[in-house]
Amino acid sequence: MITIALSKGRIFEETTPLLAAAGIHALEDPESSRKLILPTNRDDVRLIIVRATDVPTYVQYGAADLGIAGKDVLDEHGGEGLYQPLDLQIAKCKMMVAVREGFDYEASIRQGARLKVVTKYVKTAREHFAAKGMHVDLIKLYGSMELGPLVGLADVIVDLVSTGGTLRANNLKAVETVGDISSRLVVNQASLKLNRAQLQPIIDSFATAIK
Amino acid sequence: MAMRNWLLPEYIEDVLPAEAARLEALRRQLLDLFKVHGYQYVIPPTLEYLESLITGTGHDLDLATFKVVDQLTGRLMGIRADMTPQAARIDAHMLNHQGVSRLCYAGTVLRTKPDGLAHTREPLQLGAELFGHAGIESDIEIHRLMIKALQALGLKELHIDFSHVAIFEALVKAGNINANLEQALYAALQSKDKASVVLLADSLDTTVKQALMDLTDLNGDASVLQKAEQQLPKLPAISKALADLRIVASQLNDLNVNVSFDLSELRGYHYHSGIVFAAYAKGYTGPIALGGRYDEVGLVFGRARPATGFSLDLRGAVTALMPAVNAKTILAPAGDDKALLSTIEALRADGQVVIQALPNSTSNIVEMSCDKQLIYSNNQWQVQGF
Repeated sequence: MITIALSKGRIFEETTPLLAAAGIHALEDPESSRKLILPTNRDDVRLIIVRATDVPTYVQYGAADLGIAGKDVLDEHGGEGLYQPLDLQIAKCKMMVAVREGFDYEASIRQGARLKVVTKYVKTAREHFAAKGMHVDLIKLYGSMELGPLVGLADVIVDLVSTGGTLRANNLKAVETVGDISSRLVVNQASLKLNRAQLQPIIDSFATAIK
Repeated sequence: MAMRNWLLPEYIEDVLPAEAARLEALRRQLLDLFKVHGYQYVIPPTLEYLESLITGTGHDLDLATFKVVDQLTGRLMGIRADMTPQAARIDAHMLNHQGVSRLCYAGTVLRTKPDGLAHTREPLQLGAELFGHAGIESDIEIHRLMIKALQALGLKELHIDFSHVAIFEALVKAGNINANLEQALYAALQSKDKASVVLLADSLDTTVKQALMDLTDLNGDASVLQKAEQQLPKLPAISKALADLRIVASQLNDLNVNVSFDLSELRGYHYHSGIVFAAYAKGYTGPIALGGRYDEVGLVFGRARPATGFSLDLRGAVTALMPAVNAKTILAPAGDDKALLSTIEALRADGQVVIQALPNSTSNIVEMSCDKQLIYSNNQWQVQGF
């Protein structure tokens, strides 16, 4: 049995055509079903619906053989025990630094200010500012990062930006790109060795479908 | 809050009777196997000065090593996180053999962080190392010994995955790749992250760039070696590595294992120097045994000897087996009847477990795993079921 870990929403929607290319069709819609294990048209393939941040963990420990995870999530996880053979070019967005309108980000860097940063992506943010030679204080939040600079919790935020609509609506502006984000196919390392005959055709179909 | 002073640290655990008995039995079985293959058992110390423990093995082992200050000298000591360098030190400086030496070891190592899937910071490491021979024959000897050891443990569907670090080394040299880029490419190749390899290799010579990208796809059965031959640059070091891998694989046909190749697998790249390998088994979601050639490690001890070997974590490996059960025991009644005592001793001499009840105590036959008892009937002591 091959288990594929996915998250609901955008990643599931954009993965559906890739799964179809590999001849895999979910028999239930995760948006309407409350089941966490979804059967497919193939007896030997099932989907599990997990939180996006948990996908690498399920695959790392072999609870799932394959998974679809954003680069944002993989960078935070570290990718230990995983292969990441394909950039699926789906769920694209950018990891960005944003500040309140009127906040002079460049000037505060020049002065060597020690910025307060709110983010869900602590590791990514730490590495980004370290590479710039900046000392920052990180505050981890689990959502609504945009509030941070507005209520005086922090000077800047590091978060995913796709259209920039939320930033604008909250009077924030993006000042720096940390990196481009898209979703990757992740594979459990031991599973690829032990179940190659079943996994490789799925990986190859994905690779052909994204070309 | 009540003091939970019986709680153990995270990822540190007791091994309880049934499992402990099995672990010890398997440990002896493997050491006996190593012994009849000529591998001499050594017992390196649990801790030694940091310099001798981790020199030449890379940053990862340094981070994995618990450190303490020696109260006698003020020097920093490390609690071993891997026994392989200790075996290399013993070979280089304690034995000083001119010819080949074969060593094996078994012992607890400590890791500062749980090692991936093992869920323990205290693996029970068993391994065998062969020093003083640079040819492929010693690699094959080690591969075959590892497979026999894993089969002796009762592991099913064994799968051996081979790689060769000289391929990446040759590309690094051909492309004049600097140390920082080498490190980044190594990490990307380890996770077969083709997208990152493409980005990182952008400024490199096109042949080298293409070869690095190809490496991420060069994994699978023996056909991979053929493909590699066609795709990779015709450098002598690469041709030699591919030829070695072909020979190695052909020497395992009689052992009933699956063999595959993964040319982007570079585990232990910092100290390995030739063929590297990992064993996988059904029921275990990670490499169950690891090894490879490491000809340079002895250099830091003043004597670079060719070396190859493997090791495994026995505590981890047994998790792929059925749960251990307690040995069945025979319950004998209390008393000092001569015939009773001599019957008990005869059974014990035969390897059976006999527990003699103590006066004024309850004998819980479930707790003691008793399935039989000694009963006096027909003028003699007899073993009967309950």
